[in-house]
Amino acid sequence: MKAQRSPGDRWIDHLVENGARTLARRTSRRSLLARLGAAIVGTAAFPLLPVARAAEGDARLPAPSDAGLAPDVGDPTQCTYWRHCAIDGFLCACCGGSQSACPPGTEMSPITWIGTCRHPGDGKDYVISYNDCCGQALCMRCRCTRTEGEKPVYYTSKNNDLLWCFGTKSRAVNCSVAVVLGVATKS
Amino acid sequence: MPAGALLLALAAGPASAVSGPELDYTLECAGCHRADGSGTPGSVPALRDSVARFLAVPEGRPYLARVPGAAQAPLDDAALAAVLNWMLVHFDAAHVPAGFTPYTAEEVGQLRTRPLVDVEGTRKLLLQHAATTSR
Repeated sequence: MKAQRSPGDRWIDHLVENGARTLARRTSRRSLLARLGAAIVGTAAFPLLPVARAAEGDARLPAPSDAGLAPDVGDPTQCTYWRHCAIDGFLCACCGGSQSACPPGTEMSPITWIGTCRHPGDGKDYVISYNDCCGQALCMRCRCTRTEGEKPVYYTSKNNDLLWCFGTKSRAVNCSVAVVLGVATKS
Repeated sequence: MPAGALLLALAAGPASAVSGPELDYTLECAGCHRADGSGTPGSVPALRDSVARFLAVPEGRPYLARVPGAAQAPLDDAALAAVLNWMLVHFDAAHVPAGFTPYTAEEVGQLRTRPLVDVEGTRKLLLQHAATTSR
């Protein structure tokens, strides 16, 4: 059975039709779709961007840094690199970061364990902070396990078998850095 | 040298020398409390601008030597006393009361033999008490 249309329905039909035709004349459909699609996808994806998450983390807790420390010796992508004397994990220098900086999109754990390593060049003992970089899956490149000065797991503050992603937004560990905090000297 | 200055110095050139109680603090405490004593909100209490507030109440002095991080640190009594004294002045001189008597090895040795069972609860009560005292 065909539905009967009232004069009021026809008035609404004309209004919608005119509006649609005017819109179609003034805008390109392709550009409208492109802008609409970008807005929808962009809004949904923005909170997922790892860089945005890490930037928030950095603002909350400034990470330790030894940028500019010189001179340095050795290859930070190797387990034998002097700072890695007690590192256990994937080297951030192989994962998009460096020996003292986390890869983009990860957050350096503010809670960590600290030891010393002897510099082969000057023979001094340097205080090294082993910080995990957190927020992405395991890097799986340059795995190292060195244990100088490490203590058993019941001595948690000196154990490197633990995942040290404490105080971070994510507990997922990506890689580890070895930041120089100073030179240990006898008083 | 304040920890903040230490990091600035690192950024500018060779690593700074760390020795004595500051070295012990760096090796045994800074992993959690951080080099500048700022701690991690929600995880580790800050020492900076805070730790000496415990000295405003009588029970606060023993508390600082009995908290697990202090009492169980692999430091002998003299070294632990030195770290506590250094920490108070270095991180929170403004709250150190006039006439403060530094911790001694003997005092710390006795205090660290008494385990602190409820650390969080004790800490909360002491800070409440200290806030009341300072008004």
